[in-house]
Amino acid sequence: MSDTVVNADATEILGKGDTIISLRGVDKFFGDFQALSNINMSVGEQEVVVVIGPSGSGKSTLIRCINRLERHDRGSIVVDGVELSDDIRAIQGIRRETGMVFQSFNLFPHLSVMDNITLAPRNVRNMPKAEAEATAMELLERVKIPDQVRKYPGQLSGGQQQRVAIARSLAMKPKVMLFDEPTSALDPEMIKEVLDTMKDLATEGMTMICVTHEMGFAREVADRVVFMADGEIVEVGPPEHFFTNPTEERTKLFLSQIL
Amino acid sequence: MEIGHHPGIPYHEAPSDLPPDHRLSPGEWVRQNLFNNWYNSLISVVMGLGLAFALVQTLDWALTSDFLIIRRNLALFMVGQFPRDELWRVWASLYLLVGASGFGSGVLFRSEQADAEEKGLPVETHSWSEMLRRFWAIVAISIFFVSFARTLLPYLGLVVGFGLFVVGRELGRRLSPALRTRGLFLSGLAGLASLLVLAGTGGLGALAVGGLLGVWTLSEVRNYAEQHGVGSGQPVPVSRRVWRWHIRYPFKRRVGARLASWVAGVVVGVIAWFVLRTVDLSGFGWDDWGGLHLTLFVTVVGISAGFPVGVLLALGRQSKLQVVKGICVVFIEFSRGVPLISLLLFSSFMLPLLFPITFGIPGPLTRAMIVVTAFSAAYIAEIVRGGLQAVPRGQIEAAQAGGMSVARIQRLIVLPQALRAVIPALVGQFISLLKDTSLLSIIGLLEFLQTSDVANAQTEFLGQGLVAVTYPFVALGYWAFAYTMSKESRRVEERLGVGVR
Ligand SMILES: Nc1ncnc2c1ncn2[C@@H]1O[C@H](COP(=O)(O)OP(=O)(O)OP(=O)(O)O)[C@@H](O)[C@H]1O
Ligand SMILES: [Mg+2]
Repeated sequence: MSDTVVNADATEILGKGDTIISLRGVDKFFGDFQALSNINMSVGEQEVVVVIGPSGSGKSTLIRCINRLERHDRGSIVVDGVELSDDIRAIQGIRRETGMVFQSFNLFPHLSVMDNITLAPRNVRNMPKAEAEATAMELLERVKIPDQVRKYPGQLSGGQQQRVAIARSLAMKPKVMLFDEPTSALDPEMIKEVLDTMKDLATEGMTMICVTHEMGFAREVADRVVFMADGEIVEVGPPEHFFTNPTEERTKLFLSQIL
Repeated sequence: MEIGHHPGIPYHEAPSDLPPDHRLSPGEWVRQNLFNNWYNSLISVVMGLGLAFALVQTLDWALTSDFLIIRRNLALFMVGQFPRDELWRVWASLYLLVGASGFGSGVLFRSEQADAEEKGLPVETHSWSEMLRRFWAIVAISIFFVSFARTLLPYLGLVVGFGLFVVGRELGRRLSPALRTRGLFLSGLAGLASLLVLAGTGGLGALAVGGLLGVWTLSEVRNYAEQHGVGSGQPVPVSRRVWRWHIRYPFKRRVGARLASWVAGVVVGVIAWFVLRTVDLSGFGWDDWGGLHLTLFVTVVGISAGFPVGVLLALGRQSKLQVVKGICVVFIEFSRGVPLISLLLFSSFMLPLLFPITFGIPGPLTRAMIVVTAFSAAYIAEIVRGGLQAVPRGQIEAAQAGGMSVARIQRLIVLPQALRAVIPALVGQFISLLKDTSLLSIIGLLEFLQTSDVANAQTEFLGQGLVAVTYPFVALGYWAFAYTMSKESRRVEERLGVGVR
């Protein structure tokens, strides 16, 4: 095949349940610059999709459109049966069902770990304090740092901060988790603890879209890998496909650089 | 032959002449810090001579000056032209205020302690000597001022005042947790009521106190209703079937509880308002205020009303709604672009024209408060805007991703971080405001600095150059409060860990 094939269709869900996220013909512009062009993609329940691609290819923009941190310009995005529009209630509804983990953690520095985790459930879900705190403790057990509950973000290592961030997202009991390069800002010895947490999540059946260049993680837990370049989806397939016989030139070039 | 240190001992452990935690004796400290080389010694000597000269001059002034002008005019300095046979009102108001702030501060202190205990953070223990260290300047200046009194009464008043603060704070600290919020509310109410006692602010004070009482009643009734299952959808215990008609109609039940709380709130508020209005305090409105009391009052109003307005202006300036943004920008830029003097003059000549006649033309103090509030709000807005911009974008995105509403994000995530970052600048603005109130004299208000000129214009003291006595006296008053503010701000900064996290 030639490298002129663009806009590969990522709408076929591999193996898993019903569609929970669906993007159709999504375009996104920053001024004159087109950051996403004609994105078609679906994600099934309990599916793990890993998004890879060179810097500036639009990976972050793609997942940020899904919870409306960016507003898409054309096409439709439907999450859990709700279509994203300018309607603030639709947006809030979708944000409640999607958790997001950022490259730079973005924990709230003025709040303790406990308050970071309980803030959204108490304010958005109106969860009583005691219940929210019990949930927070459970989650901290799950990400294996229950003893840090009283500290402030500034007192934690990068890996611990990112695990708190994951717990914070999970506290809202989301149906989908979005990860934007969650390990890129971490020292090598901390990457593993965060990836392990993410693997556990995947095993427990969480629907996940992860932007990451950790190919070991992709190979182990991804159901599908999506390769993006220049705002387009170039190639889609199960992880083995990418490790054994990627078809597109751009994919090969990219993989040769990171593997 | 061994030269140097023993090879078996690592160099950094070699015994030294000075133990590491050796504390310097005063003599050594002076040698090491003031006379450690020739130019430092020279600077020390010159500065020392200068200091000694200044000290001698000050002592000479203090011993040879005649402080009669201050003794005669102490009341003038403190409260301006306030009717002398009504001075008890000032004392009563002061007592109420001091007691209430002692109580409020005690409640706050205890709940902070409880918070720290719950979070497992180090708990601060209460100590009066610590309080004295924090507020020594104000305590000292009050004693200094009162020491010029010619009767025993002010001394007594001061002792009672300090006593009330201590009693209030101790009571506040002992308040049971369930009553803490109520306690804080109560001390706020008492503070406001103290204004009524003092000046008969008539309609305004009554409105404020009545309004707060109403809000309080409303929340109490709603709390009661919710605790007893009315309106929250939980089953109503049989013993509480007072609201029987609600049980059959769940929707009506919820609305009923809401309605009941509103009705109760409004009724209590209005009754309180009317009762307080009938307290006849005519004859000495707050336009009689003056002296240190006026200065402090206007400063406190400028801070406590200007701060919320300023924060709203800062948020409004960032708004996407062009109208809101436009209004905020115009207001801020106008207030900041014009000297305070011209704003005050403007208030004398223009504001009366702008007010609907039915309200009556506001007196000079009311106008001054409006202007000072607007002025400080504009400056506070720009300071806060700087803080808002310093909050990283990712903070807002993380909160948005959690599904929080815009208002909650601002209140819980953005503002706390923004305000922490600008505490030093804010307190700087507060201190400026304290000193800027000296301009109120140009619209005919007898503020603290002006009292000095008034005293010097009395026939008895005219043309004797006694400003050399009165100005330092007044300056010390300003200094005590400004100094305490800046000290407290550093304390708050440290406790919030500005720049640490
Ligand atoms: N707010 C913005 N304004 C203008 N251009 C933007 C904005 N955000 C992203 N872009 C541009 O859109 C393109 C895609 O950005 P995006 O952040 O999605 O890339 P990415 O694939 O996540 O890259 P990286 O691996 O470096 O994170 C880039 O060229 C970027 O410069
Ligand atoms: Mg990115």
